[in-house]
Amino acid sequence: MGSRILVVEDDERIRSSMRLALEGEGYEIDEASSGEEALEQFSGHPADVALIDLMLPGMDGFECCRALRRQSAVPIIIVTARADTHDVVAGLEAGADDYVTKPFVTKELGARIRALLRRVRPVDDEPTVLAFGDLELVPEEGVLRRSDGTEVHCTKTEFRLLCELASSPNKVLSREQLLDRVWGYDYFGDGRLVDVHIRRLRTKVEPDPALPRHILTVRGMGYKLVP
Amino acid sequence: MTVTFALGAFVLSVAMAGISFFTTRHFLVSDREHTAVHEAFLNATYVSQHVAAGTTVLQTLATVTPHAPSLLEERGTAWYSGSNRITQDSIPTSLRSMVITHGTAASQTYVSGDGHVSIAVGWPVKSVHGAYFEIFDIEDLAHTLRVLELALFGAGAVTTVLGAVLGRWASGRSLRPLAGVSRAAVAVAGGELGTRLVSTAGDPDLAGLTSSFNRMVDQLQERIEREARFTSDVSHELRSPLTTLGASLEVLEAQSGSLSPSGRRALELLSADVRRFQRMVGDLLEISRSDSGSAEVSLEEVDPGELVRRAVAAAHRSLPAGTPPPPVEVDPRVRGTHLWVDKRRFERVISNLLENASLYGGGATAVRVSPGDDARRCVRVSVEDAGPGLPPAERTRVFERFYRGHAAFRRGAGTGTGLGLALVAEHVRLHGGRVWAEEADGGGARFTVELPGRAATVLDDEVPEDEPPGCGVAP
Repeated sequence: MGSRILVVEDDERIRSSMRLALEGEGYEIDEASSGEEALEQFSGHPADVALIDLMLPGMDGFECCRALRRQSAVPIIIVTARADTHDVVAGLEAGADDYVTKPFVTKELGARIRALLRRVRPVDDEPTVLAFGDLELVPEEGVLRRSDGTEVHCTKTEFRLLCELASSPNKVLSREQLLDRVWGYDYFGDGRLVDVHIRRLRTKVEPDPALPRHILTVRGMGYKLVP
Repeated sequence: MTVTFALGAFVLSVAMAGISFFTTRHFLVSDREHTAVHEAFLNATYVSQHVAAGTTVLQTLATVTPHAPSLLEERGTAWYSGSNRITQDSIPTSLRSMVITHGTAASQTYVSGDGHVSIAVGWPVKSVHGAYFEIFDIEDLAHTLRVLELALFGAGAVTTVLGAVLGRWASGRSLRPLAGVSRAAVAVAGGELGTRLVSTAGDPDLAGLTSSFNRMVDQLQERIEREARFTSDVSHELRSPLTTLGASLEVLEAQSGSLSPSGRRALELLSADVRRFQRMVGDLLEISRSDSGSAEVSLEEVDPGELVRRAVAAAHRSLPAGTPPPPVEVDPRVRGTHLWVDKRRFERVISNLLENASLYGGGATAVRVSPGDDARRCVRVSVEDAGPGLPPAERTRVFERFYRGHAAFRRGAGTGTGLGLALVAEHVRLHGGRVWAEEADGGGARFTVELPGRAATVLDDEVPEDEPPGCGVAP
């Protein structure tokens, strides 16, 4: 059985054409025409990936993202009209993992979905436990724990990003490298994806996110993790 | 303005100095003359009385002249001098003839034989049928006047210089508001529509100019924004149907095997033009954002060589299959120079230039990265083709929107969006760079993009910051 995708889009024609195109790629589709409907659908029948248009009547895409994120770590792709606006950053900050712009090519969208789904599954050659500060990462279980045993909740993308950084401690990883390894983008992927996710991660793993001690920015180069 | 002030100060100071000098000189000299004439009169009377009373002329003369050497002429022939410093030749001839011949008292200022300025005064003395002459040395006065002259000249020079300085300051002050207007106008013409003049209190003329200028720019900005908004809205509204069209076409394409040959051909035409339509709408939206000033630029620090290589590789993938990738040549002098670019925009610049070369120049033959020839550490990226080249008249016009030049009828020309090079120009402008077209060495066209670079930043490792490196909004 293929992965299940929740398509949240108010334009019925777009929704139908997306269903047709994505079904052609082998996915199962749930449709929702509003944010409220999407949340209802999701709680009854959780999808593997959610595709949310930012411009929705009633509850907008950002709110829908946040609400969905509160109840699940499901990978979210936002659909936006413009790539060069604050919408993208706001969407990512609302909890989205990636974005596509309208009008998108289904093949491109399919590639993004596959990248998100692939990332959920652990990679074999990773060490069993990665530790830094008072945190330990167990890639195989997909779990981030504090030394006192409490679990830190993070999305699959955040987890994957943290694994990449933690598996090469003290080594600077460029945004391009991280985009490639975590999102499957090439050199021209959007660096803001990395930046926003780093910001989100810091609020979860840093004692003081404004003065990070573990996930450091290396100006002009990228990011590195200091245990 | 400065010259006018300096000239004015010069003329004024010359006039003032001249007037004061001549007035002072006239006053001092006439005063001295007066005194001299008066003293000579007293002495002449004294001499006249004493000679009349029987005292010899020389004895008489020896008892007068407390200040000045004197001389007596008797009956037109005999001369008696009270001092060995003067003889009858010391008296100016004209004065002598005036006094002796016409019998009137007279005085004359002259430069004596020893170079001193002197006043000679002559009085007719009836008792001896002759004349009494006295010579007053006024060299001290002449010296004072020379010092005065020098002082006034100096003062004049200082005034002239001060005038020039004042002129400069005043012209700066009175023209400063106009310079502001001129700067603002240049800024507006350059696309900075947010530019306004700050109203200055005090000068009503200027306040009027300021408010009309600002009103004009307001209206201009509103009109431009309305136009850009309209383009943006239209493009935006077109996106939804285009999304549906695109997705549905992909479904059809996946099943094109079950279509008849003519159906397949129709589908090919349809999807080619839907893609072009999608690109066109995307380009229009992009250009309208640029027009309305709402384009967001997120800059990152990159190595130009790597950036261009990657961009060429990425752009090449979207070109028609079978086109060989152009070689990328990176000048070693560019090493160490970094660029701050919006990578997405830069990729579009390269892909649009390559597409342009592919559509109109038979494909790019080389992409070169070289240093610019100025001090801003500029980096140039040139894309060359081996096509027919561009006639000089079209080299600027090709960057206009929907411009169709002589190459418009070439094969494949209909598949462009008509906005490719216009967008290149916009993207480059947003980076503070420039772009131009010229003839390549082989006769084809060469498009060169020049972006301002900078030396690689020193890495400061432990700078924790919330904002990622180099993520900013360009001017």
